Amino acid sequence: MASLHWASVADLARLIATKEVSPIEVVRGHLDRIAALDGGLRSFITVCADAALDAARAAEADLAAGRPLGPLHGVPIALKDLFDTAGVRTTGGSKILADRVPAEDATVVRRLRAAGAIVLGKLNMHEFAYGPEGRNAHYGDARNPWDAAEPRIAGGSSSGSGVAVAAGLAPAALGSDTGGSIRIPASLCGITGLKPTYGRVSRAGVLPLAWSMDHAGPMTRSALDAALLLRAMAGYDPGDPTTSVLPVPDYAAALTGSVKGLRIGLLRSLFLDASAPDVREAVERAAKALEELGAHVDEVKLEHVAHVAAASMAIVASEALAYHAEWVRTRPGDYQPDVLERLRAGAFVSGVHYVRGQQVRVLVRAEVDEALAKRDVLLAPATPIAAPRIGENETALGDAMADVRSSLIRLTRPFNFSGHPACALPCGFTAGGLPIGMQVVGRPFDEATVLRVADAYQRATEWHTKHPPLAGR
Amino acid sequence: MLARMSQTDADTLRRAARLAGFDFAAADLEALRPAIERALEALARLERLPLSSVEPVTQYRVI
Repeated sequence: MASLHWASVADLARLIATKEVSPIEVVRGHLDRIAALDGGLRSFITVCADAALDAARAAEADLAAGRPLGPLHGVPIALKDLFDTAGVRTTGGSKILADRVPAEDATVVRRLRAAGAIVLGKLNMHEFAYGPEGRNAHYGDARNPWDAAEPRIAGGSSSGSGVAVAAGLAPAALGSDTGGSIRIPASLCGITGLKPTYGRVSRAGVLPLAWSMDHAGPMTRSALDAALLLRAMAGYDPGDPTTSVLPVPDYAAALTGSVKGLRIGLLRSLFLDASAPDVREAVERAAKALEELGAHVDEVKLEHVAHVAAASMAIVASEALAYHAEWVRTRPGDYQPDVLERLRAGAFVSGVHYVRGQQVRVLVRAEVDEALAKRDVLLAPATPIAAPRIGENETALGDAMADVRSSLIRLTRPFNFSGHPACALPCGFTAGGLPIGMQVVGRPFDEATVLRVADAYQRATEWHTKHPPLAGR
Repeated sequence: MLARMSQTDADTLRRAARLAGFDFAAADLEALRPAIERALEALARLERLPLSSVEPVTQYRVI
């Protein structure tokens, strides 16, 4: 069967369950593609070829024996290299943990395997998840597959996840998001990435960056696929005390295709207005498209977003340094320089600063809640720019030059701060052929409506179906 | 209201880092200084927000 590597999770699960395609064929096809393309893309740190094929053979035996199948039976996935994977090195993209082999799977990995998913390997990332560019000095920079002429960043920190899914090396991946690390690579690589509500998905067995801002979530090529993965991943976990006991709905069943009557708040001030003209125009066209599908769109402003940068820095810098303190003292030379600088900055944040950050969090959360009391979702660009070149510290944003790092994180971080669910999805391309991403933000634990809006938009448009030139056919 | 950290010279930064349990070299502190100054200025602006009656999200719950 042609182009299995572009098949969706939903289609692969169906084709495997109905025995139209063998899980061995699916896994082998993806492994062959990884072998052919990943030398240039650098999306994987570890490829688990033997284990994946063993799991595929076991999946095929289950099918032959008529045993009960999970919803993701035989579907390959790949994991950002901070999700503990039993018996497989889990490096955090670092030299410091290069030889760390956990004995147990992270909770979400265990749940996805129980649903039948097969792990292809561990994906590249910004070292210790502490960067929005997706750079990695130890394993090489993952390369954005959308520009064949110039090396561009994939975005981070889940850079390998963005590249692998965009390039057809895996139909789905896991990422983590502390300030935008699922949505930034989703936006820059032209895929769909969901940061769920804080507490919807367990962080047990996930290497932390900042405990109170970290979220785990799926990265896929469609909202439907994200819904399928989220259903398998989500739910209370005694191993993570911040997880919610709220029941996990059937997210895929909520994708009715209709947004008729839905109320959407377009974030212009501090979001659209802070974006490059082509990004702004693409998101405005997306809002118009949703109106034509029957949604009602108005504009809303979040005033306190202006304080998120400082307040979240106090929280992330403190929590990250608390985790890394011993290594920063004893092995500073083993960090890549930008990560070491960010970690060291945490030493100058006082306890009072940290509490101020957590107070501002209450204001921002209340403001987003108020905006969503009168609306079902909010809409904004995911990133204000498309993918810059690797090594660029400044990039054009309208008529001015802007710092790449702070630009990439500016529009995503508010929703890590507030904890609301947010899904990034493609909504266009720049004149140069680079993806443009928007994000749909919803009420706490209302991933169903967020995904419904994303899915309805994807049924009416084709952005998410395009493939990058570097990935070949 | 927090007093502003008006001095961000290397010596002040070294002392502040040592209080936090870190011993950074002078060259490293000098490299950090611009970012620290920007961060502290931004954090100082948070003091102007009406936070006196806002309970932070750092509650400890037994159950």
